[in-house]
Amino acid sequence: MAMSPLTSRFNGVRDGFGVAVLLGGVLLLYYLVPLVALFVAEPPAQVIDRLGDADVGRAAGVSLGAAGVTAGVSLLLGVPLAYALARSQRAWKRVVTALVVVPLVFPPIVSGMLLLTLFNPNSLIGGVAAAGGVPLTRSFVAVVLAQTFVASPFVVITAKAAFEGVPRAYEYASRSLGKSRWATFWRVTIPLAWPGILAGVTLAFARAIGEFGATIMMAYYPRTLPVQIWVAFTTLGLDAAFPVALLLAAISIAALVVLNTIGANPWTQ
Amino acid sequence: MLTLDGVTVAYPAFQLGPIDLTVGREVLAVLGPSGCGKTTLLAAIAGITPPDAGHLYWAGAPLDAVPVEARRAALVFQESAVFPHMTARANIAYAAAGADQVERMADLLEIADVLDQPADTLSGGERRRVEVARALAAAPRVLLLDEPTTGLDAPIKRRLRDQLRTVLTGFDIPVLYVTHDQREAAAVADRIAVMEDGTIHQVAPPTTLFNAPATPFVASFTGNDNVFPARVLPPDPHPRVAWNGHVVRVANHDFAPGTDVWLCVRPEQVSVLADGDPARPNVLPAALQHSVYEGGTYTLTLEVGADGASSRLEARMLPPALRRLNRPPPASVHIRLDAAAVHLMPRIDAASPSER
Repeated sequence: MAMSPLTSRFNGVRDGFGVAVLLGGVLLLYYLVPLVALFVAEPPAQVIDRLGDADVGRAAGVSLGAAGVTAGVSLLLGVPLAYALARSQRAWKRVVTALVVVPLVFPPIVSGMLLLTLFNPNSLIGGVAAAGGVPLTRSFVAVVLAQTFVASPFVVITAKAAFEGVPRAYEYASRSLGKSRWATFWRVTIPLAWPGILAGVTLAFARAIGEFGATIMMAYYPRTLPVQIWVAFTTLGLDAAFPVALLLAAISIAALVVLNTIGANPWTQ
Repeated sequence: MLTLDGVTVAYPAFQLGPIDLTVGREVLAVLGPSGCGKTTLLAAIAGITPPDAGHLYWAGAPLDAVPVEARRAALVFQESAVFPHMTARANIAYAAAGADQVERMADLLEIADVLDQPADTLSGGERRRVEVARALAAAPRVLLLDEPTTGLDAPIKRRLRDQLRTVLTGFDIPVLYVTHDQREAAAVADRIAVMEDGTIHQVAPPTTLFNAPATPFVASFTGNDNVFPARVLPPDPHPRVAWNGHVVRVANHDFAPGTDVWLCVRPEQVSVLADGDPARPNVLPAALQHSVYEGGTYTLTLEVGADGASSRLEARMLPPALRRLNRPPPASVHIRLDAAAVHLMPRIDAASPSER
């Protein structure tokens, strides 16, 4: 049977689409199966029992606390930098943006080594801080330092894109109405860029809470959840590490849900 | 009073100015094609784009060092800068001194019923009115409107234009109203400044601008392509020119006999006669070539000339007049030019505007 050119063309597209679905499906399964395994591998009773462990509780506290502080620090320091980058026309913009991306592509363990070199008690900065009663390694501060290095670029990059999405006309209109740059920034620019900034902060939080490589170099103690998983795995084996992994995975997924909720409703007041 | 003294903004591929301009308590339309520097002019006045040369003054005091927020030159953007994360009311309140002022502005611009809508649900026309209300609520010293009716459908556009005319008259402040629409400029403005390639050709009240353009560009941009080379003759005692082998009486002018000039006459000032007496002044034989219906009026194309020189002239006619003329093209007719409507312009370059 002769087909019209239009029909055969559509069939061609559909054939191609089938291949794409097949290839993509393999990858999707590869994402999904471990996730399901994570939640069914252990009997619930054993999970609950293990989660009642004081070490796990402490680690969860450190992880949530440090990731929270990291998210806050990233917001405080990252947003002004993002704004400056978004509004600058200068040549240094590209160089600085590249610098911001470096921690994202750096191997975390190498980042940890560099930070350790900089902040260990025998270093200049680390020594002064330790003498002042704030050790920069093996401390809560050390965890935050490691996480901020690795996670804060998410805030800068995402917030920069959000600021770039706010037309300058809004800012000029506001200022032409007699509002200062400062008032304009808070009342016009920040509200319009806020969904993007919040997405960046959520990403940074998720990255921070999963941070392992840089953190274990800077602070074996106090233990974060990823370090606790590592310790449980190396000392007691995979089964012992599983419940903690489940907890960490649940927190990460919660962060993802928050992210999607923000994304769905960008313009609400 | 706002004064611009040699204001120049230089870009790699474009230069605005030098612009010398004084704007009093009036609506000044800035008319010109896109890319002529209209928006750059507003940006320079608002303080967004600092001039590379020249100075701005408000009531004699220099504005050069005054930042955007202290100039009190409220700007209404072409692409609409109503804050999308606020309601219409919050937008106006953002600039207003008090809640009663919000109500007053809303009444004035007839947006009271949409005040509590989120800005991103407003129609194009409502958004423009909210933005104008917000700008006026800031009690500006100068109002800058950048193509406030662009992108609106014709009826809404006309209504907004008339509304703006009424509202702006009541505010008694200098208003710069940027547009590329000559009819809109004539309808809203006390004076019109015509711009091309970053410079101002002429600043004049609408009737002057339309009837006595200073340059062929102004004539063309105000809808008059009847611009032809002519030479001034000694008066008899009527002022006269030689045009295409004819002698034509013209409006009073300052040109010396023998000067090469541009002759121009608006299409609606050209009378087309079925039978005319060429012995009478300003009645010339013409060949009616075709007529085009342009919605409401007809535009007639006529060939006028003698002794081998001829020009293509446009005339505009209402349908009843065309019916009375009763000469389906092509046909031989006469035209009559009212001497007071025939305007002369200096001819510096040799190229006619149609060849530009």
